[in-house]
Amino acid sequence: MADGLGQLPADDGQVPDLPEAAERRFSEGAFTSGLTVPDFAACLQMGLEPVGYVQGFCVMQWQWYGMGSPFGTFGSPFSGGTRGYTESWQCPHGYVSAEHRGWGQNYEQSWIEDAWHQGFDGAYSRMLEEASAAGAHGVVGVTDTSQPLGDLGVLEFRVQGTAVKVAGAAPPADGRPWTTYLAGQRLAKSIEAGLAPVSIAATVASVRVWAYCVTEYLTEGSSGSWGYQSAAAEIDQMSKAHMAVRRIAREQIRGRLDHDSLHGASMITSERELGQGDAELQCILRGNRVRRFKAFDPLPAPRPTVRLL
Amino acid sequence: MSPAPGDEGAGPVDIGTEMRAAADFLSRPPSATPADRGARTSDLSMDEEIALHSIGWEPLQLVCGACLFSVPMGVWNWGQGEIAYASNAYARAFAGASEQLHAECTKVGGRGVVGVHVEAEVYRHHVDVVLLGTAVRPVGSTGLSADPVFVSDLSGRDFALLMSSGWAPLGLAVGASFVYAPRRSAGTAMKQKSQNIELTNFTEAMYSAREAAMERMQEAALGMDATGVVEVKVTEGPMDFARHAVSFTAYGTAVHLVADQHRTLSPRMILPMDDPVQAFDVSSLRG
Amino acid sequence: MSDAPQDLPEGASRRLEELEKGLFTSDLSVNEFLLIKEVGFHPLGFVMGSSIYHTGIQTRKWGQSQELTKLTGAMYEARELAMTRMEEEAAELGADGVVGVRLDVNYYEWGKDAAEFIAVGTAVKAESGVSHRNKLGKPFTSDLSGQDFWTLMQTGYIPQGLVMGTCVYHIAHRGLGQTLGSAGQNVELPNFTQALYEARELAMTRMQDEANELDASGIVGVRLEEKSHQWGSHTIEFLSLGTAVVKTSDQVTLPTPLTIISLDN
Repeated sequence: MADGLGQLPADDGQVPDLPEAAERRFSEGAFTSGLTVPDFAACLQMGLEPVGYVQGFCVMQWQWYGMGSPFGTFGSPFSGGTRGYTESWQCPHGYVSAEHRGWGQNYEQSWIEDAWHQGFDGAYSRMLEEASAAGAHGVVGVTDTSQPLGDLGVLEFRVQGTAVKVAGAAPPADGRPWTTYLAGQRLAKSIEAGLAPVSIAATVASVRVWAYCVTEYLTEGSSGSWGYQSAAAEIDQMSKAHMAVRRIAREQIRGRLDHDSLHGASMITSERELGQGDAELQCILRGNRVRRFKAFDPLPAPRPTVRLL
Repeated sequence: MSPAPGDEGAGPVDIGTEMRAAADFLSRPPSATPADRGARTSDLSMDEEIALHSIGWEPLQLVCGACLFSVPMGVWNWGQGEIAYASNAYARAFAGASEQLHAECTKVGGRGVVGVHVEAEVYRHHVDVVLLGTAVRPVGSTGLSADPVFVSDLSGRDFALLMSSGWAPLGLAVGASFVYAPRRSAGTAMKQKSQNIELTNFTEAMYSAREAAMERMQEAALGMDATGVVEVKVTEGPMDFARHAVSFTAYGTAVHLVADQHRTLSPRMILPMDDPVQAFDVSSLRG
Repeated sequence: MSDAPQDLPEGASRRLEELEKGLFTSDLSVNEFLLIKEVGFHPLGFVMGSSIYHTGIQTRKWGQSQELTKLTGAMYEARELAMTRMEEEAAELGADGVVGVRLDVNYYEWGKDAAEFIAVGTAVKAESGVSHRNKLGKPFTSDLSGQDFWTLMQTGYIPQGLVMGTCVYHIAHRGLGQTLGSAGQNVELPNFTQALYEARELAMTRMQDEANELDASGIVGVRLEEKSHQWGSHTIEFLSLGTAVVKTSDQVTLPTPLTIISLDN
């Protein structure tokens, strides 16, 4: 299975050919580009020739056990199906009953992370294929989205950008174009600062909170029969889950950077409350993987100005 | 860090040459011994990184802290005066998140955290605070410094400006207070209906709550030995789930002067000539 | 410009004492903070004033377009009270003035027919020790941002106070037919345009009167706001705001600006 760095999957016949329309589009002369006019001008100034607008799609079935939610669904803590983060809590009350949740666990939903990666990498590698076919050196101004398609229980991954050729330069080492979320002046500044774009990097971390009695009571504000005073406390299980999901996302990306750096990152975390203190947390971390290509040379301090208008 | 001596007469950089150099570099496999490569992660924009570099600092790693603190049931039912459980939960959640942010920063060897995104949400039964930022340090510094780690929601650019004028951030000073809106008795209500008068018991309650939040923020700043607090953000308003309960929060970056005195920047005044022909627009007279 | 001072709540006094010990607070951005220091001022503290006022009216379909003088009075007093309390906090800190003043109105669902008027700003003091208070000996107030304050100070003009005038006007419900039949009555203005014109002029004239009280040379940054608050669309408050300034020196130290054309979007 492809990693998050756009490695083309092994040639086992699974990747379909480019659509015929795409081949036609690239063989004709005029280029298409998703760049704005200022970004286009900046690209030309940098010696980047736009070759064409490239895109890749991948539609994943996103239904597990019949629940059509973009987050997947419950996995039982007893299934033993996760690798990675897991932490558990025991009820301190010594009270046993069918409704009293004597045991709880936070666990990483690695199957959801794997599925997301499959979708993202599938879309990404197809975009790279289009770019390679067009003879591009790199792809700039990449955007990636994942959205549910209507009510069908599917998630569509899209990765798209503008393929470019660098005038007078050699093609990339392994024939695989470099990619970046940056475009225009922001890319120019990155180059001036000595950082070369290697690829975009994106990952998702998914943590499920299976609440135990204390978490359930604190989150619902109820004190049960355990006293009003004890109901004002840090919700340890939830705090740990929030820290874990963000930590896992960062660790996953760092594990793939291989000494390169991640710049201009954006981390978006969302939470879905499932009732009774249960919750599902998802953290998507994106950024530009860059590599230093010339010695660090700080620009002089910028001159402060005040605009009169 | 000032530019290297040879650069003064270098003239503007030819970006086309630089891009070709970058592309050629990428056409070779990466070097085996990554002496100058260091797996950094940062959510600062390119402009912020350049501003940091111009004062000799560099980004290290993305760091974060999160804490959820519960609010017992029944706290939001109408009462009188301050809602102590809520104010306390907010303070504890913020403190818990800050502590973790500090710890992560120290672990990665940072001197402080800039560009912190502060997400503080108050729900009916819990207060959630999440802080996310980039740990930074002076270029090439290693080992722990004697100074405590600072945390600030200032952007990389504002941090660089502040440092250039001789000030340094200390931490995020936070204050919050939650209060019940006072009730009006029926008799007072009728009397007040036709007159233009101030509703003094309301004023007193809102005023005190607002001042309490600001005071707590100030106390937090004084506790850090700060000289001042800049970029204070004050928010206030009723809770979505309990419209008779009002929250006041204030937070900002606590700072102190590290140079002997404030250094003036002497900004250059510029007049952009970018306007197209503009007809007079009367709506510009309105606020 | 201000009424007799009112007592500040106890909480305010405690907070101000802390500020007097030397800590400053401000909601100025870093840019504004640095520009204020450039012109020789130092921030002292974030100052606030508020008052909750009853603003209800009995809605009737008045036949005439007219000013609702009682409401005008209420809206004016409410803001004055908020501004006065803010000035008092500034005076207590020993400030020369308040910059970045914002006037906001909050409506709370539990207070029907009531609104909270808030004035907030940052108190500043000249580092030279020379007093910059206005003609009435009170700290000046201004809604100028840090950048505008920096620019103004270099023109030889200094702010005196935030001046305002307000007028609550009711626009008649009467239709055209009825209007034609009532020619000859003094109070009714048959033309809506005339009514709105009158209202705006009243607001601006009152603002000018306040500036005259301060012996100002002029008013900068004037803007006119229109709000219906909670009264429905036929009753509008016209609020005119500006910063009164006075010329203190003929010397303009404003450097010649560099003209640029920016090529960024």
